Amino acid sequence: MRSAFKTLTALACVTALAACSGGDTTDTSSGTTNDGASGQKVTITVATFNEFGYEDLIKEWNAANPDIQVEHKKAATSNEARDNMNTRLAAGSGLADIEAIEVDWLPELAQYPDAFVDLNDPSVEGRWLDWKTQAATVDGKLIGYGTDIGPEAVCYRADLFEKAGLPTDRDEVAKLLEGDWDTYFEVGKQFVAKSGGVAWFDSAGATYQGMINQMEAPLENTDGTPKPLDQNAEIKALYERILQASVDDKLSAGLSQWSEDWTAGFQQDKFATMLCPGWMLGVIEGNAEGVTGWDVADVFPGGGGNWGGSYLTVPAQGKNTDAAKKVAAWLTAPEQQAKAFASKGTFPSQVKALEDPAVLDFSNPFFNDAPVGKIMANRAQAVTISPYKGPNFFAITTVVTDALTRVDVDKTDDAASSWTKAVDAYKALGIS
Amino acid sequence: MTQMSSPMAEQLVGKGAARAIRRRQSFGTNRRPSWRTYLVLTIVLLISVYPLYFTFLLASSDAATIARNPIPSLVPGPNFLDNVQRVLASDIKLWQALGNSVIVAVVTSLSVVFFSTLAGFAFSKLRFRGRNGLLVFVVATMAVPTQLGIVPLFIVMSKLGWIGQLQAVIVPGLVTAFGVFWMTQYLREALPFELIEAARVDGASMIRTFWSVALPAARPAASMLALFTFVGSWTNFFWPFIVLGSTNPTLPVSLQLLQASYFKDYSLIMAGVVVATVPLIIMFAFAGKQLVAGIMQGAVKG
Amino acid sequence: MSNLTGRQRLSRLEVKLSPYLYVSPFFIVFAIVGLFPLLYTAWVSVHQWHLIGGQGEMIGLGNYTAVLEQPNFWKSLRNTFSIFLLSSVPQVIAAIVIAYFLDTNIRAKTFWRMGVLLPYVVAPVAVSMIFAKIFADQSGAANALLALVGLDPIAWHGSAFWSHVAIATMVNFRWTGYNALIFLAAMQAIPREIYEAAIVDGASRWKTFFSVTVPMLRPTIIFVVITSTIGGLQIFDEPRMFDTMGTGGSDKQWMTLTMYIYELGWGAQKSFGRAAAVSWILFLIIIVVGAINFLITRRIASSDAKGARR
Repeated sequence: MRSAFKTLTALACVTALAACSGGDTTDTSSGTTNDGASGQKVTITVATFNEFGYEDLIKEWNAANPDIQVEHKKAATSNEARDNMNTRLAAGSGLADIEAIEVDWLPELAQYPDAFVDLNDPSVEGRWLDWKTQAATVDGKLIGYGTDIGPEAVCYRADLFEKAGLPTDRDEVAKLLEGDWDTYFEVGKQFVAKSGGVAWFDSAGATYQGMINQMEAPLENTDGTPKPLDQNAEIKALYERILQASVDDKLSAGLSQWSEDWTAGFQQDKFATMLCPGWMLGVIEGNAEGVTGWDVADVFPGGGGNWGGSYLTVPAQGKNTDAAKKVAAWLTAPEQQAKAFASKGTFPSQVKALEDPAVLDFSNPFFNDAPVGKIMANRAQAVTISPYKGPNFFAITTVVTDALTRVDVDKTDDAASSWTKAVDAYKALGIS
Repeated sequence: MTQMSSPMAEQLVGKGAARAIRRRQSFGTNRRPSWRTYLVLTIVLLISVYPLYFTFLLASSDAATIARNPIPSLVPGPNFLDNVQRVLASDIKLWQALGNSVIVAVVTSLSVVFFSTLAGFAFSKLRFRGRNGLLVFVVATMAVPTQLGIVPLFIVMSKLGWIGQLQAVIVPGLVTAFGVFWMTQYLREALPFELIEAARVDGASMIRTFWSVALPAARPAASMLALFTFVGSWTNFFWPFIVLGSTNPTLPVSLQLLQASYFKDYSLIMAGVVVATVPLIIMFAFAGKQLVAGIMQGAVKG
Repeated sequence: MSNLTGRQRLSRLEVKLSPYLYVSPFFIVFAIVGLFPLLYTAWVSVHQWHLIGGQGEMIGLGNYTAVLEQPNFWKSLRNTFSIFLLSSVPQVIAAIVIAYFLDTNIRAKTFWRMGVLLPYVVAPVAVSMIFAKIFADQSGAANALLALVGLDPIAWHGSAFWSHVAIATMVNFRWTGYNALIFLAAMQAIPREIYEAAIVDGASRWKTFFSVTVPMLRPTIIFVVITSTIGGLQIFDEPRMFDTMGTGGSDKQWMTLTMYIYELGWGAQKSFGRAAAVSWILFLIIIVVGAINFLITRRIASSDAKGARR
């Protein structure tokens, strides 16, 4: 019996490939500790998309931490990364140890906090802007470490401003646009009157995006119940105001964002301003290459606003969640995020990084050498609201943006008939 | 793969096949093509080639020029080699991806052709209980919407421990309903019963009959199927992306990383498309003649 | 029985068993990668099932009735059939015609044949870009051409019908050459002496085509019609790539059934149960339409064959 037991133990050791060096050991559990603290080597996978700017950081980590090696898995676009993540969450396996997510996915993921490890830790307290942390906190549980944010400013074409008799200097433009959305629309009307066919902004949908991110609870009550669209007077007023400005006052170029026409519009002087979060600068620079006159003003209608940004989460199905948490904490530390900003322009969400000279001194020659680091840092400080986005936020907001698109871009409906369709579409969702 | 003469065929693969080849060679198209044929085909060809040329035009251009001109000029830009170099230099495991793509495409196309012809032979020429029912079932399996199969299929692969491994992409593609249906329909007309009977009278076993009579008769359709399967596997993106990911990618999975930023540099992306498509075109050039020879077996030689 | 020698008995067994052996690889692979997903989907469809949250209460046919009451279901059913008709009918006809021209003694056969297949080889990202540039409403080539000849621009995205035409064009572009080669392979299998006989009888080329070629292509036409029915009713990539949002337009004017499945399961609601229910409904629709098409095609092709024999 004893020899049989020994044989079994030896077999177990072999199969576990564990460090059963002494032939007489009977402790079969010694090979299964995986927390990375016992000198055991672990590999942590990090799944990201688009550009997180982590390539060099991961090399740096791997060189300094032989025990915890990090492997980077990339997907091109956030849509693909999202399909990937949802499939793996649904199948219950296959997720990376650290999964990057966009802020927009939070409402649906937040319904399943158990799928993620609680990342609260005294060492990271106060690391991020309050509203950034707040959006990823579910019942006191922190499900993601903030990486970057998208504080919004106004990008404008100084050359087109000049032709229409508006100031061109970025400080003067900031002063001119200082105020609420009415101010922004009023200046737009002055511009359009003299611009000779150039619109004020690209689309009604983008404007809606900017406005709704300044509301505390736009489409749902904070307890998670949806606000029926036909009774949501606030949204209806906002809808009418946007379409009044876009269509009746002809401020919108009617180009839905990311479409072929929109991309071409940058080269054809179709519009003079855009609401631009930090990450949009690269998009403008690429689409408008060769166009001179773009600049950034340190202002945003109605105060501050944030659009987009990401987090790192640690899915609970992983085997090495402690080590993963450590890596995620390191990657999202202010020093690292400042380096990521320098390499790929992802604007940091960490309080300390916003004071980092590497961020503040950053300027962009395409935007007439605008000090975009300083401007975006100011814009980030101006954000005060993290809008409540519950489980049905995306279903409802799609209904509203579709309604805007029908009037602004497709021109198949007027404001009233499109709203009726939206109310029907809302009812068809079957969520109230 | 030169055309086999009938005495040689008789020696190698039996009388049945030799008779089939003789039969085929004695027919020939008398249709001499008129100028109208060339005109129609030239138009079709121009439409077909344009997207490929368009890809090359963008790959030889730069992002700003592409954004400025909705329709690119027909003269290529100067940046083609630079863009290709940028693709080759980028950190996307291109060579590993190329190797993986070759393995997956070769294995699946060989396997699909073999197993589909085998099943097609049985469905079209052998009598067995439940034949029609099973064939309808095969066709019906094509009607299952693929989008929804992803989650259960991922669960299967995860249980098998195949996530991130090539067999997760290869095994589902080993034999397809499309291939089975196609070979069945083709062999139904192309393989006369008398040939099978002749082989059986000659004392050939069932599998030998398949090998020496059905396979040669199936060659035209089989080379088409191989081509379609190869190309389909080469361009397949979604499932390999989900199950393999960027750590052990196939070409499309690795190339999609070229678009990983908010602003898409289409000159770079299209250079990547060229890099992925060129091996396929080279294969066309080499295998094309043989493929056509396969398709052309029914037509006259010389 | 006792009269049979051992060898004969073995041979008989061989004849009986080999068909099953030959078709078994397909069914084995299908059992792993097809049947399980199918049954799993059926199980999901009778439950409340959130994609991430997982299995909820069993609700019988609740998902099915809920989906049938949604206007978007009917809209996507309409769109699917509209795009299907606009693509499959012209495509099959064009493919036969192209194959007919290819099935001649032309020079440089490889060149023409491979050329026809090129659209199938080009990566989808390139194809979607090309068509985005052609069908862009303000900056597109199609509307620029219309303007040249003095016509009003077409709302390629705003109008349901024209968006279907544009999407059908993308489909036809990619698959016509592919189907042409399928027809070509089948035409090559037609014994040439039948043509010779028809020509000797004094039949015109046109008549030969309809009374000889088409009937002889019967199994292949059935094959192409059924596979393009199945593929056409599951159309997903082309309408999804038709704009950058991929949700079927602001009025869901080009959302197809598979996009609807995707939207239900992976979109804002993540209702895997309802997505599974629509999958099964679509599955049944395809079976019914496929069967109808099979019967019609068989009828047409066999009545032609009779005509030919007369």
